[in-house]
Amino acid sequence: MAIGRTIRDEFDWPLFISVSTIALFGVLNLYSATDGGTTSDAYIQQLYWLVLGFGVAALTAAIDYRHFERYGWLVYGACVLALILVFVLGKSVRGSTRWIAIGEFSLQPSELMKIGLIIALAKYLHHDTKTGGRTLVDLVIPGLILALPMGLVLLQPDLGTAMILAFIFASVMMLTQLKLRSMVTLLATFVVSAPVTWFYLLKDYQKERITAFWNRLGGTEADLLDSGWHAHQSLVAIGSGGLTGKGFTQGTQTRFRFLPDQHTDFPFPVWAEEHGFLGALLLICLYLFLVLWSLRVASQAKDRFGAVVAVGVGAMLFWQTVVNLGMVCGLLPVVGMTLPLFSYGGSSLLSTMLGLGLLMNVSMRRFSH
Amino acid sequence: MITLSQRREVGEFRKRYRWMALFVVLVFAGIIVRVAQVQLFQRDRWSGIAQQNITKTLELPATRGIIRDVEGRVVASNRPSYDVYATPRLLQSDDLGRIASLMGLTDADKVALAARIEQLPAERRTHQIQLFRDIDRDQLAAIETHLAELPALDIVTVPLRDYPYATLGAHLIGYLNEVNEADLRNAADPSRYRPGDRIGRNGLEKRYESLLRGSRGFRRVVVDARGRALEGATPDSLDVEMLRRPVPGDDIQLTLDMRLMEAFDRAFRDHPSGAAVVVDIHTGAVRALYSKPVYDPNEMSSGLSTRRYAELTGDPFRPLIDKTIYETYFPGSTFKVITALASLQDGVVDPAQRVECTGFIKIGRQKFRCSKRHEWVDLYDSIVQSCNVYFWELAEEVGIERINRVAHTFGFAERTGIGVNSEAKGFLATREWYQEHYGAFRIGYTLNTAIGQGNTRLTVLQLAMAYAAIANGGTLYIPQVVQNVRAPDGSLSETFQPHVRRETGIAAQHLDLIRSSLVDVVQTEDGTAYKARNREGVLVAGKTGTAQVVGRKGRSEESPSAWYLDRSHGWFAGFAPAHEPEVAFAVLVEHGGSGGASAAPIATAVMQEYFGELHEEE
Repeated sequence: MAIGRTIRDEFDWPLFISVSTIALFGVLNLYSATDGGTTSDAYIQQLYWLVLGFGVAALTAAIDYRHFERYGWLVYGACVLALILVFVLGKSVRGSTRWIAIGEFSLQPSELMKIGLIIALAKYLHHDTKTGGRTLVDLVIPGLILALPMGLVLLQPDLGTAMILAFIFASVMMLTQLKLRSMVTLLATFVVSAPVTWFYLLKDYQKERITAFWNRLGGTEADLLDSGWHAHQSLVAIGSGGLTGKGFTQGTQTRFRFLPDQHTDFPFPVWAEEHGFLGALLLICLYLFLVLWSLRVASQAKDRFGAVVAVGVGAMLFWQTVVNLGMVCGLLPVVGMTLPLFSYGGSSLLSTMLGLGLLMNVSMRRFSH
Repeated sequence: MITLSQRREVGEFRKRYRWMALFVVLVFAGIIVRVAQVQLFQRDRWSGIAQQNITKTLELPATRGIIRDVEGRVVASNRPSYDVYATPRLLQSDDLGRIASLMGLTDADKVALAARIEQLPAERRTHQIQLFRDIDRDQLAAIETHLAELPALDIVTVPLRDYPYATLGAHLIGYLNEVNEADLRNAADPSRYRPGDRIGRNGLEKRYESLLRGSRGFRRVVVDARGRALEGATPDSLDVEMLRRPVPGDDIQLTLDMRLMEAFDRAFRDHPSGAAVVVDIHTGAVRALYSKPVYDPNEMSSGLSTRRYAELTGDPFRPLIDKTIYETYFPGSTFKVITALASLQDGVVDPAQRVECTGFIKIGRQKFRCSKRHEWVDLYDSIVQSCNVYFWELAEEVGIERINRVAHTFGFAERTGIGVNSEAKGFLATREWYQEHYGAFRIGYTLNTAIGQGNTRLTVLQLAMAYAAIANGGTLYIPQVVQNVRAPDGSLSETFQPHVRRETGIAAQHLDLIRSSLVDVVQTEDGTAYKARNREGVLVAGKTGTAQVVGRKGRSEESPSAWYLDRSHGWFAGFAPAHEPEVAFAVLVEHGGSGGASAAPIATAVMQEYFGELHEEE
């Protein structure tokens, strides 16, 4: 079995080890975050999801990615269909409809959409033979590939995921060359659309968060009772960790429930409070390694599809990590954003594992022809 | 079988990876710098907040020192009262309704409470506020039963001041009420007082506030974000003082004898207003400082309504005024001993020389009337029988300057220095003062001064201290009401020694003469207080006096009973036991008429009771 030997020989150990380490830390952290609470068995659930996730990743890695290329539009279409189904079958949580219930489990199609988008863009660029400067017209088709799912996600509404889709798109498109004039036009469009977004698209609670964030950056003490409260308590948790932290399961902000959504959106403050700056640095460096490693995989990919997939997965990891960390450190406004591999949640973990499986796939097949 | 139709060029992408990697590294570096800033450089600030987050500080009020009388009877102590506090941030939406029903509030009270909490600024919402004070037993039981479901609430036990003798001696003992902004601003140690605290507002409570108060403590409990206390969950990282025990205030023992005060209260039952002072002649220790009528200290400490305040200030018997030290009176004939001593000391008069009292004297066209025709009297007789004519004759020779000088020596027209509450100075009119206010000085002014009318004004305490000096051989003491101060552990921290104000320097034989005449005021049939004598038991010596009441305005508007307020004040000042004096006293019955008939019976009855008991105890 030629392929079997190849897989064993070309297995990407650094990728596997760094991913496993983050996931392990995540489970430990989840145990601490939920210890003594009503969801204290969440870490066991997460372990099940991890086993499933690694299985999915292994499967994804085993199938030659050229199959994904071939069925690219199908994957994309399936993901978009799932997004549409959300509006039919979805259940509403805190004012937005993001989930589809499948038996006991809930699935978040917008998470899978990230992978669908990456594959679709990769397929498009793979066949786009053009090199050199592109104009805006060249961006129309990839733009539509983004716009369809992004619009659906915004309707849920799920601003965070929509933003990640846009960031993945932008990052992937950075691989190609854009003409200066087109760049200026894009920039101008963005500047014009920002106020429109603010006044017509954002909900009041979203505006509130952003205002509170600006107030905090400006040094004014935000109203700690409302939107500033989460960000404030998150900083309290991180800051009080100091150099070495309060110790595993000893974080007071965590144990006494001062952190909001401590196992989904705010796992990093839990980690930073209990393991201090040293622990935080270790975790951040693991993410940095993972992102840089995916760029390395991209640069060694044997074709455009592989390169775009690797960059797309790297971008997904990078932007989610940066937005989540920036948010909990008070550098960005509070938006719903999970920390890849680390946050509790099946859909998020599954889509991340799918992506990492693709990355492994590209990595292992860099020399095969 | 997978074959891509054509090999796709990846070279175009190659030059991008380095820029992307650089961007990624820079962004991550930014995050690391931020985390380092928060965790390494701002650590103390965030740790402080983290500790505040999980601790709730419950105040432990200090027990105020106990005030006892000379025999150790409790005059002011504390009883537990239960106050309800709330942390507004932790109040759930339906909590107020539950609290209102547990407390049995009316709808109006409930609305007022909700409005009060609504008005709180955001930064105050994490601090406890007082919802109710001194709730009753039923309310306490109701709230305590549901305390676990109302984590925003705390019940704080506060010792509340209790006065076992109720109103007796209230002017001297004083009362507490809530601190105001000025108190908070002026406090030497601002941490000692918080809004809602009580402070000694009057009397001894005010004078010895710093000793009685003690210092508060606190207990911290670990709470979660909803404010629920978590027993035994103290995390290792918590580095704050969890318990500081309150330090009780010092106890104060007075020189006052509450049995004596009670005796006065009984003796005054037929008189609506008056005052009495008893002092130890050898030390200046005050045994009684009695003023009638009196306000209720409990009423004062809960804050008077405007209507109630108007009632108290409008009361013709002036319950707010401490008549022992704050009000001044004409001394009447009790002042004659001063005139007598002034003449004796300077050798102006031969005490054996007799003067004929025809019932009046004429000076110019003015006729001065005596109480009756006393015939031929000497100094001794004229004190016993209170003959004005003798003293008028005497006054012409002694002159106002000598009288004033000796009066000063005995402490008149200056504060005694008792050191509690505001004390009036009293007044001695001089020749210059008369010239200034009446145009010219006339001999009549001296005559009035000699018999204690005129413009001489003094306090009941001043008079008692002067008679104490006469009784003890000429030493004027500073009156003291506190005997000692004890620390909470019972050890003596301060003992007050007798404080001599001055030696009057009056020759012993003169004082002997005056004393024996004062004995006969009560003991001889001619004496003005003979009817008030104790037929057996304690011999009391003293001088009667009747002070005219002048200068009341607006009489026509007053009630038909207002005639009473025009009656003279009755005085009796002296010492007991007559031949071996221990205490001196001054008793004033406002509008009691003649001193011999009103004040003297009170003094002799109280002295009889006081020394009778003393001897029984021995």
